[in-house]
Amino acid sequence: MLEEPVRILIAAAICWLNFVTVDLIFKLPEKGGVIGATAIAEQVEATGGNKNGGFMMGNIVSSPDASAGTLLAACGVYCSGLFGGLFAAVLVYIGNRICYDPGYAGTTGCLTATLIVYGAVQSGWFAASDFIAGMVIAILTIQGISSMYASRLIGRLWRIRSRFIRAGRP
Amino acid sequence: MIAIVVCAVLAVYAGLRVVTERNTMKKLPFVNVISFGVAGVIALLLPHPLTILAAAAYFVGSTLESNAIASTWAGGMRRDD
Amino acid sequence: MIDTVMIACVALILIGMAATIAARDPFDKLISLSVMIAGVFPFIADRGYLDVAIAVALVAPISTIFILMACRRETA
Repeated sequence: MLEEPVRILIAAAICWLNFVTVDLIFKLPEKGGVIGATAIAEQVEATGGNKNGGFMMGNIVSSPDASAGTLLAACGVYCSGLFGGLFAAVLVYIGNRICYDPGYAGTTGCLTATLIVYGAVQSGWFAASDFIAGMVIAILTIQGISSMYASRLIGRLWRIRSRFIRAGRP
Repeated sequence: MIAIVVCAVLAVYAGLRVVTERNTMKKLPFVNVISFGVAGVIALLLPHPLTILAAAAYFVGSTLESNAIASTWAGGMRRDD
Repeated sequence: MIDTVMIACVALILIGMAATIAARDPFDKLISLSVMIAGVFPFIADRGYLDVAIAVALVAPISTIFILMACRRETA
């Protein structure tokens, strides 16, 4: 096993890739799910950011999406193994329904994160607590450093994703 | 041991950012970072099966609170679909 | 609970309290109040009162929604 700070940074990179990929696949940066998410996107755009990145930030704030699924899956695996991760997926689905959201992104992100975290723990390279701290670092890079640069980064990724939509792929 | 300190320190950092941010809507992403950090701290403090329920309940509650504040600020609890 | 985490949670409560007192806008006040509530949870969970933590986590947002009904945004 590596040193703990190194493991936390690698886990942060894995969590970041997981939740950004799932959110882009489920088209979170396309539009605001609720009226509050649209308001956040407008404020982010007014202060120099990208509107599609603002939609994704607003959607993350106003309903539990794949990032929340990744965190709760790591908590579930830390507390009671594989079964805990699946239980967390059920809780994320219920939470999505409470916040007027269809809930596909959160549940899918939670299930993939459960598989990733459980596999990493079984392989002996990581502990489940690394993924909890790693997910907090990963969400900090999107929501907590600078809304302008984070939204521009997501806007650039969304432009790549929307090329696949025009080519006819779902 | 380092993991729980990382979660707690990042929550305090986000709390300071909430206080120093002037725009009301741009405070909400930092509140989201706080709820991630605190949910992580709750789960790391006490490894028990019921802790998942507590962390998920706290996280969903905090998200619902942010959702309600943002929607009311934007003019009513209407859904736009 | 180790000392660093305890100090961090106390700092979160104090930051939220000071910001709630200092804020002028009602929405800023509610956001600062949720920062303060966030600092309380680790203390409840550390003692093992997980049922209390679940109850408080579900009651706090409902009280916020009731306050929001009272302060709509006509003034701003």
